[in-house]
Amino acid sequence: MADQVLATMPAPQTSPTATTARRGKLGVLLGPMPRYILRRLGQSLFTVFLTLTTVFVLIRMAPGDPAYSLAGPLATTEDLARIRTDMGLDESVFVQYFKYLQGLLHLDLGTSYSFQAPAFDVVLSRLPYTITLATAAILLTTVVSIPLGVWMARHADTRRELVANAVTIAGQSMPDFWTGLMLITVFAVLIPVLPPAGFTTWSSLILPTVTIAVLQVALISRMVRREMVGAFLSPYITVGRSRGVSERELIWRYSMRNSAIPVLTALGTRFASMLNGVVVVEVVFAWPGVGSLVVRALETRDYPLIQATVLVTAVLAILVQLLVDLCYPLLDPRVRLGKGRGK
Amino acid sequence: MSSPTTHVVEPPAKPRPSAVTERDIARAGATRRRRDSRVKIWVGTIAVLVVIAPVALARVLPLPSPDATNLAGRRLPPLTDGHLFGTDQLGRDLLARVLYGGQVSLVIGVLAVLVSGLIGLVLGALAGYRGGWIDTVVSRLLEAQLSLPLLMMLLLVVALFGPSIPVITFVIAIAQWPEIARLTRSLTLVEREKPYIAAAHVLGLGQTGILVRHIVPNIVKQVSLVVLLLLAQAVLLESALSYLGAGPQRPFATWGRIISDGQDYVTTSWWLVTLPGLVIAVLVVGVNLLGDGLRDRAGGPKTGLLKLFSLRRKGK
Repeated sequence: MADQVLATMPAPQTSPTATTARRGKLGVLLGPMPRYILRRLGQSLFTVFLTLTTVFVLIRMAPGDPAYSLAGPLATTEDLARIRTDMGLDESVFVQYFKYLQGLLHLDLGTSYSFQAPAFDVVLSRLPYTITLATAAILLTTVVSIPLGVWMARHADTRRELVANAVTIAGQSMPDFWTGLMLITVFAVLIPVLPPAGFTTWSSLILPTVTIAVLQVALISRMVRREMVGAFLSPYITVGRSRGVSERELIWRYSMRNSAIPVLTALGTRFASMLNGVVVVEVVFAWPGVGSLVVRALETRDYPLIQATVLVTAVLAILVQLLVDLCYPLLDPRVRLGKGRGK
Repeated sequence: MSSPTTHVVEPPAKPRPSAVTERDIARAGATRRRRDSRVKIWVGTIAVLVVIAPVALARVLPLPSPDATNLAGRRLPPLTDGHLFGTDQLGRDLLARVLYGGQVSLVIGVLAVLVSGLIGLVLGALAGYRGGWIDTVVSRLLEAQLSLPLLMMLLLVVALFGPSIPVITFVIAIAQWPEIARLTRSLTLVEREKPYIAAAHVLGLGQTGILVRHIVPNIVKQVSLVVLLLLAQAVLLESALSYLGAGPQRPFATWGRIISDGQDYVTTSWWLVTLPGLVIAVLVVGVNLLGDGLRDRAGGPKTGLLKLFSLRRKGK
């Protein structure tokens, strides 16, 4: 049934010869899909490069001497000179930048000052915690926000929806660190059922996950609502309804499939930004992830560690976004990647 | 010749009842939306005023100095000894600290939105109108910023350049300009194709003239609707930065800092964390509601119609 309805939609066809001619030899060899992946990978590499260069430039532009903050106020001039030589700070900026890029290619990001271990390894050891938290949060968000958004869309502009609306507005207006502290106050102090901080048992995961989800649910459910309301107005819903398709099927099979792409994009972007953006929540709950690591690295001016964290999280976030893009054709067969059309 | 007789049909004494009853009108989606947006604007305005008025009048109100410590009266619960919000771990009046800190937070928020609005408007309009390499560069920057570990970079900048008010304002503006730039760019792309632009061109107005005197004034109203929502985000971002220790210390600690100072006492003195957070939440809810309501009233139905119209045209 759904296929029949979709088939009635006009789909402009480009002639195959024209696209082949435009694509060139490499395109013919690879086909549109791998070519698309290659182009996206190229763009991603550029973004990572831009990020790392920005970090490098920022650190060199800043006032203050890293050698001094490393050695402490009691260091002698000789100590400072020795540290500068060790860290390569006495060379020209261009030499430093070149060595920095060279190190990147070997995944050698220097030694963390405060941990006295390779910065890359320190970040990797913290990464599983952040990934666990982000995954749990995005799962909770998806499970709650999609039904909520659909419910809001079905009751659009009614008094009942106004209540849900108020709740989501409140959810996106509370500072997340405050939400976290309130949850700690209630569920760890007043009614001590959950551990307040750190990672001891799996139940430690609950409070930080809920804290993140409060904001994300508010954002995503409003978006699901908007998309679904748009879909409800589409002609194919009227057609489906006049053919006697059940309301439930109209929502989940017809509207949802057409709203899936923007919603999935939003979820993917949220997940990607969580991988490098749950800093605040990690600090509130003393979660041993990358976010609390970077705050500590910033306090101690541990530059290799900062650079390693930024590199790892940026790469991870970009990979997630690429994966999300690659999922589009699975959800919506009208989308063909690398052809520059579709939704 | 007799004059033609004209028959005047008298209107019926009682007008025929319309098929659309008042109840139908009241139940229609558009009516409800308009009513909802009015409720949103009113509630939003009240919530914003409840926070902003005392913050703005902090100097006039009979409050103890926010820096006056009183070690004998540490962590007094709210409503004791004339301390409406109680006192903190050094015996300072919490309400005074929240209000004076709020001045700094709000100044940063408003300035950040102004700066980001200016950057976004200029770059977005240029990218949309001129196209070419400017558009490529701006669009790439917008894309890149989406996948950057933004909060980490912002923290890095504050850690390196010090938590002064200009640095923090700049940092928040950098975080927010893409929103405005993207909107301005898409609006400019639409505006550029309108006939009056071609007319201005024919009349010999230069490109800068067209951009500044015609395009920008025509889109600035729609862009300004987003500003309130951005202000809400700016206040939240500032409080997060300040919670992480990257907020301004002088002249007064801002809201996030007050909360992070108070969180060590969360087991014994609930008000140190709860009340400042509540103030932030009320303000941001108010600003969000106000922005939402204004946008619903100005843009909502119109964009819906436009969408329908463009769908029909595509079908032909």
